[in-house]
Amino acid sequence: MELSPKLAAKFELLQNHYPVKRSALVPMMMYAQDEYGYISDDMVNELASRLDLRPVEVEETLAYYSMLHRKPIGKHHVQVCTNVACMLRGGAQLLQHAKKRLEIGHKETTQDGVFSLEEVECIGACTGAPAMQVNYDYYENLTPLKFDRIIEDLDNGNRSAPVPVITGALRERNALEIPLISKRWGIKDSHKIDVYLQNGGYQALEKALKQMTPESIIDEVKKSSLRGRGGAGFPTGMKWSFVPKDSPKPKYVICNADESEPGSCKDRPLMEMDPHQLIEGIIIAGRAIDAHRGFIYIRGEYRYVLDIVDAAIAEAYARGYLGNNILGSGFDFDLLIHTGAGAYECGEESALMESLEGKRGYPRIKPPFPAIVGLYGCPTIINNVESLSSVPAIILEGGEAYANRGTPKNGGTRLLCVSGHVNKPGIYEIPLGMNMKKFIYEVAGGIRGGKKLKAVIPGGSSCPFLKADEIDIPMDYDSLAKAGSMLGSGGMVVMDEDTCMVDMARRVMHFYAHESCGWCIPCREGTSWLRKMLERFHAGFGRPEDIDMVGELAKNMLGRTFCPLGDAAAMPTISIVTKFRSEFEDHLHGRCAYKSAEALVGSR
Amino acid sequence: MAETKLINLKINGRDVQVPQGTLVIEATRRLGIEVPSFCYYPGLSLQAACRMCLVEVEKMPKLQTACTLVASEGMVVRTNTDQVRNARKYMLEFLLTNHPLDCPVCDKGGECELQDMVFRYGADSSRFVEEKIHRPEEKWSDLVYYDAPRCILCFRCVRVCDEGMDVKALGVGMRGANSIIIPNGGDHLDCEECGMCIDICPVGALTSGTYRYKTRPWEMQYVSTICTHCSNGCKTTLSVRNHEILRANNRDLSGINNDFLCVKGRFGFDFTKHPERIKQPLLRKGEKLYPVSWEEAAQAAAKQLNELHAAYGPESVGFIGSNRTSNEENYLLQRMARATFGTNNIDHHRTADYAGLVTALGDRAADSSLTMEQLYQSKAVLLIGNDPTNQNPLVGWQIRAGIRHHDTKLFLLNSREIKLARKATQSVQVPTGQEAAAVRWLATGEGELPHELTEQLTALRAALEAEQDVALVFGSELAGATIGHLVAFGSKLPGTTRYMALGDYANSRGAADMGVLPDRLPGYAYLDNKTVAEALENLWDAKLSAKPGLTAPQMVEAAQSGTLKALYVVGANPLAHFGTLGFGRGKLQLLIVHEMFLTETAKQADIVFPAASAYEKDGSVTNTSGQIQLLHKAGEVMGTRSDFDLLRILSHQLEKLGLGKAFHYKTPAAVFEEIRKAVPGYNVHPAGLLTGGAEPTKIQFSRNGHEPYNVPVQLIRSANDNLFTSGSLGRFCTMMQSLPEAEAKP
Repeated sequence: MELSPKLAAKFELLQNHYPVKRSALVPMMMYAQDEYGYISDDMVNELASRLDLRPVEVEETLAYYSMLHRKPIGKHHVQVCTNVACMLRGGAQLLQHAKKRLEIGHKETTQDGVFSLEEVECIGACTGAPAMQVNYDYYENLTPLKFDRIIEDLDNGNRSAPVPVITGALRERNALEIPLISKRWGIKDSHKIDVYLQNGGYQALEKALKQMTPESIIDEVKKSSLRGRGGAGFPTGMKWSFVPKDSPKPKYVICNADESEPGSCKDRPLMEMDPHQLIEGIIIAGRAIDAHRGFIYIRGEYRYVLDIVDAAIAEAYARGYLGNNILGSGFDFDLLIHTGAGAYECGEESALMESLEGKRGYPRIKPPFPAIVGLYGCPTIINNVESLSSVPAIILEGGEAYANRGTPKNGGTRLLCVSGHVNKPGIYEIPLGMNMKKFIYEVAGGIRGGKKLKAVIPGGSSCPFLKADEIDIPMDYDSLAKAGSMLGSGGMVVMDEDTCMVDMARRVMHFYAHESCGWCIPCREGTSWLRKMLERFHAGFGRPEDIDMVGELAKNMLGRTFCPLGDAAAMPTISIVTKFRSEFEDHLHGRCAYKSAEALVGSR
Repeated sequence: MAETKLINLKINGRDVQVPQGTLVIEATRRLGIEVPSFCYYPGLSLQAACRMCLVEVEKMPKLQTACTLVASEGMVVRTNTDQVRNARKYMLEFLLTNHPLDCPVCDKGGECELQDMVFRYGADSSRFVEEKIHRPEEKWSDLVYYDAPRCILCFRCVRVCDEGMDVKALGVGMRGANSIIIPNGGDHLDCEECGMCIDICPVGALTSGTYRYKTRPWEMQYVSTICTHCSNGCKTTLSVRNHEILRANNRDLSGINNDFLCVKGRFGFDFTKHPERIKQPLLRKGEKLYPVSWEEAAQAAAKQLNELHAAYGPESVGFIGSNRTSNEENYLLQRMARATFGTNNIDHHRTADYAGLVTALGDRAADSSLTMEQLYQSKAVLLIGNDPTNQNPLVGWQIRAGIRHHDTKLFLLNSREIKLARKATQSVQVPTGQEAAAVRWLATGEGELPHELTEQLTALRAALEAEQDVALVFGSELAGATIGHLVAFGSKLPGTTRYMALGDYANSRGAADMGVLPDRLPGYAYLDNKTVAEALENLWDAKLSAKPGLTAPQMVEAAQSGTLKALYVVGANPLAHFGTLGFGRGKLQLLIVHEMFLTETAKQADIVFPAASAYEKDGSVTNTSGQIQLLHKAGEVMGTRSDFDLLRILSHQLEKLGLGKAFHYKTPAAVFEEIRKAVPGYNVHPAGLLTGGAEPTKIQFSRNGHEPYNVPVQLIRSANDNLFTSGSLGRFCTMMQSLPEAEAKP
C-alpha cells in the first residue's frame, strides 16, 4: 500500500533496527495506527510482507494488544481510567459523565467519527487521579467541568495543553524524603544531557568503564542490596551474576518500562525527568554482563515519555555515551527504545520478551530463566526502570553507602507513589524501611477530609490489602512479606472509611480479567468468573454462598497459574474477602454503607 | 550414538528409570499412570497452559506441571494426592465455566477428552451461575468448522498447523477469556486442508464438514487400512457405519504416520460412493457398453482372450497392472501374463524407478532402503527433485518433524521452488530438468554445468560429507543410470547412506516388486535368471518366456499398429497416461478393463469389470519406502468385486477353455503366503503385519551379469499429483475437488 513518506521512513528505520526483523511489528503497528487511526486489511498485508510474516501472524499479535484497533475509531480517542486509584477519586463518575457528554458508550465512536470513548485500565497517572488520555495526551485531576472544557477545545479544533509532567512528581520535598534518584526532578530541562552532566551525570559510567571491572560492578550492586523495584524484589546483583560469562551468543539488557501495575506511576517521572540517569544505568548494566545492546520496553500509553527518552538516547549517542568505544574504553553499547501497545501481562519479564520479539505477550516456560535463555534465545537481564536508575547512584557512592540508606537486605531508597484518599498524593523517594503509618500521615499528608483510614494497598493492586490496624510496620520487602503483603512496585493506594470494599474487589478483578492473557486455564477462566461474580454480587444479586466461593476460587487459582498474574489477581481478592467479610454480608442484606452500589442502595 | 544416561525417580512410590531429559509426564506414562493433559501433545512444543498435569514433587513448594518438568535423579513425584486431585477438579471446573454443556449434540461426544477428564476427575455439578461467553459457530471451509465456545484453548491445532504442517493457517485472536482461534483468511481458511486441526482437537471445537452430525462414535466400526492415494502408505482408520465410510483419521496413533494424514487420507474416501461407480459388468455391443451378468462377462472375456491367444500367439496379448491394487493382485496378474499366457507383455505406469534403484544398489539393496521412521531419524536428508508437500505429504511431515525434534539438516536439489525450502539448510536450485545432470556432476565431476551451480554443488557435497548417515531421497527426476550416479555418490559418503525413491500412488512400489515389469520377474530378477525363473516355473507349473515384453507405452503403440491384439488393464488408465488421448484403443481387438469408474480407457473397453476399491478389500500394499502393510476391508459397494476375485474367476474360466491353470487361492492372505516364498525380500514376519505394523522389505537382488540398469527417457513419469489430485481416482473425490484450494494450487 501507499505510505506517507514519514511513515515509510519510520517503517524503514524500525525494520532494520532489531536483530530480528519481527521485533518491529508492534511499533510499526503503533505508528501506522497513529497515522490511519486503525490497522486496515491492507496494512496487515503490508506489515506481513515487510517483516516476512504471514498475515495471520500479524493478526495474532495485533489482536493481543488493547491499544491496537482493527476498525476505525474516533479522531480523538478519549480513554478514561477507572482503575482503583482513579476510582477512589471519582474515575467511575467521570466515565459516566463522559458517556453523557459524548453521547457514546464504552468502545463506541461518535457518528461524525470525531470522538470515541473507552474505559481503560490504569494509565500510570495514579497520583493525578482521576485521569484520562486523549490519544497520547494526559489530563489529570479531572472534574466534569475540566473534562467538558477539554472536549470543547477539541471540538473547536484546539488541543488543551496536556500535563507536562505527571501530577504528584513535582511538589515540595518532605523532610523525611531522601532524594537520590529523584534529585534532579524539577530542575529546568532535567531531561537534557547538558543539565544532566551539570548535575553529576555520566560520572558513574566513567567510573564503571575506567576504574571497574564487570565483576566489580556486579559486586558493588550486590553490596548495595538493591532489590528489583518492579514488584518481585529479586536481588539485582544476583540476577546479573547469573548471566553466563562464556556464552557464545550475544547478551542483552532490557529495561522494563512497561509500568502498568495499578497504583504505580514512578517510572513515568523517572523517564520523563531523568532519562539520562536510566540510560547511564542501562549502559553500566550492559558493561557488567558484557552485553552490547539494550532495549527499553516502554508501555504504549507513555508515548510522550518515549519521545523524551528517545531524544535523550540520541543525545547520548551524539556525546559518545552510546555507540562504539564509549568514553574511549573500547566498550560498545547500543540502546533502542521499543513501544508496547497496551498489555499489563507484558510487564512479566518473559512475556515482555515475547512481545519485544513481535509476538503475543504470552509468558514463557521457566526454567530456563532469561539470564540463560532470554531475548532471541540469548542471555538477557531484565530490570525495572527504577532499579536501573538506581545503578548510577550505587556506582558513585558505593554499594555499601547505598545499602545503608535502607534496612539490611533492603538497600537504598525507593520511590513510593501514593494515591487514593490521602491529602498529598504524590511520588516520594524515601529510605526503605520507613514506617508505613508515618509515611501515610507525615509524608502523604494523612487521610483526606480528616476521615479514618480503612485499608491500604501497599505496592500496587497485586498486593494483599492491609487493614488500618496493620500498617504500623516498616516498609521494606521483608517486613511487608511478614505482614502478609508485598512492597510490590511501590504503588500505594489508600482507602478511607467510606470505601466499599466489595467495589474494590470488583474493580481489582475487573482489571485482572481484562489483562489475563488467556494462556492458562486457571487465570483465564478464574479471573473472568470472579469478575462476573463480583459484579453480580456488588450489584446486589449475591448469594450467601458466594462469599466463601470468591475466596475459594481465588485460592484455586493461587499457585497454579502459569505466571504470577493469576496470583496477582488471587492475593488481593483473598485478602479483601477475608478481612472485610462483613461488608460482603452487608451487601447480601441490601446494604452498601458506602453508596457505591447504586442499584443496591434504596432498591431494597 | 552416545549412551543416554538413565535417571532414577520415584512416582507414587514406584521406582522408574528413564533416559535423561525425559519429561515427568512421559515417565508417569511409562508406569501406566495417567496424568491428564490437554495442551501437552508429544511432538509439539510445550505449553504448560492447561495446568491439568500438575503434580506434587518433593522439595518443591508449588505443584509442578509434569509436562515441562524434566525428570531428575532422585526426584519423588506424587500424582494422586488430595492436593493434586483438587487441582485437577478445580481446573476442570474453571474449564467448564465457558464450555457449553452441549455434549448430546456435539460431534465429539463419546470421544471427547474433556468429557473423559470430567468423568474421571471432575466435580459432579457446576457452581458457575454467571453468563457464559457465547459466539456463533463459524464455517472456515467445507471441511473445517469452528465452535469457539467449545474451544478450551489448548492450542494444539495452532501448533500442529504451524509446527507440524508448516502452514500456519491458524492463529490466536483476542485475549484472556475472549481468546479464540482465528483462521488465516479472516473468515475462512486458506490452507492445505489436511484436517490435522480437527483431528487433534481434544473437544468439539473444530469439527469436520464431512462428518459432522452424521453419527455417533459408538455407532461405527473402525477399520485400519492403508490410504489409497499417494505412495507413502499412511495408515488411515476408516470409521464405518452400515458398510459406508463416514470418516477417516488415525487417532489411535498407530502406523508409520502416527496421527498424520493429509487431505487425501482424511477426506479422500468419498469416491467409494460416487454415483458414477460401476456396479455391474459391462459388455460392448456395437457402439455402447451394456450391463450384463457376471457369467456373460467372464465367459466372454475368457473366450475372446483364449481365441486371440490361440490365433496370434502369446505376444499378441498385453497386460497393464495397477499401482493402486494390492500386491496379491499384481502378483496374480503377472502370473497370469507369464504363466497362463506365456508373455512378458506386462507393465504398469511407473512413477519412480524402483527397478533402477534396486539395480544400482545391487547386493546392497536389502540394507540400503530408507523407511519412513529412518527418514525421521536421519541427521541429514538430501532431497532431489519432487515436492513432498504436494506429492508425498508424509515424507514432508517426517522431514519437518526431524528438523523440529533433532535438527535434521535438509538439503535440497531441485529445479522447482518447493515449500520445504523454507526449512532447508541449503537449497540448490538447478535449471529445469537438470537434477540428473547435477547428480552426475556430484558423483563424477562430469558434465557442463554453470560455474555458480558447481560452486553450490561443491558446498553441498562438502556439507554432506561432514554428516553421518545421510538419507538420499529422490523423485522421478532420477531414473536409470542417474540413480547409478546417485548410488555412486552415496557410497562415498561416510556412515550408512540410505535411499528412498518417491513414486506416486499407494502401491507403485508393490507393483514393481511383484514383477509387473516386462523385463523383470518378481523381486526384480532378470528374465534370464535361471534359478529364479525355474523356481517360478515349478511354483506355477508353467513354462516362462525369457523374452522381454513390451513396456506400457510400447503396448499402447503396438495397439495402434495392430501387433497387439488384446490388452488387459487392471486399475489403470493407460489410454490417458501413455497414448495421446486421440490414440485411443487403435487396432486392439479386445480391451478388457477392471475399473471403478468409466475412465478414458474403460470407455473404450469391450468388457469392463466393476472393481472394488482399496477400501473394499483385503490384501497388502508396499509403500514407496518399501514397507509392507495390510489392507483391511472397510466398506462394501454392492456389485463390485476385488481384482483378486476377478482374476480368480478369469483363471477358472480360462482353465475350462484349456488355457493355463486356475488360481486356487481362497484369500489374498493365501497369495501373500506364496509371495513370501516367491518374491525375495518379502519373506517378512507376518506377526508384524497382522498387528497393524509395517514390515520393511529387504529385496535380495543379483545383477546376474547384467550391466547397470538404464531406462528409456519418459518411461518413468510422475503423475505430478498435488495435494488435491490423485490421478483418475482424484476426479471422483467430490469433496476434495470442491475445495477452492484444489483449483488454486498447481
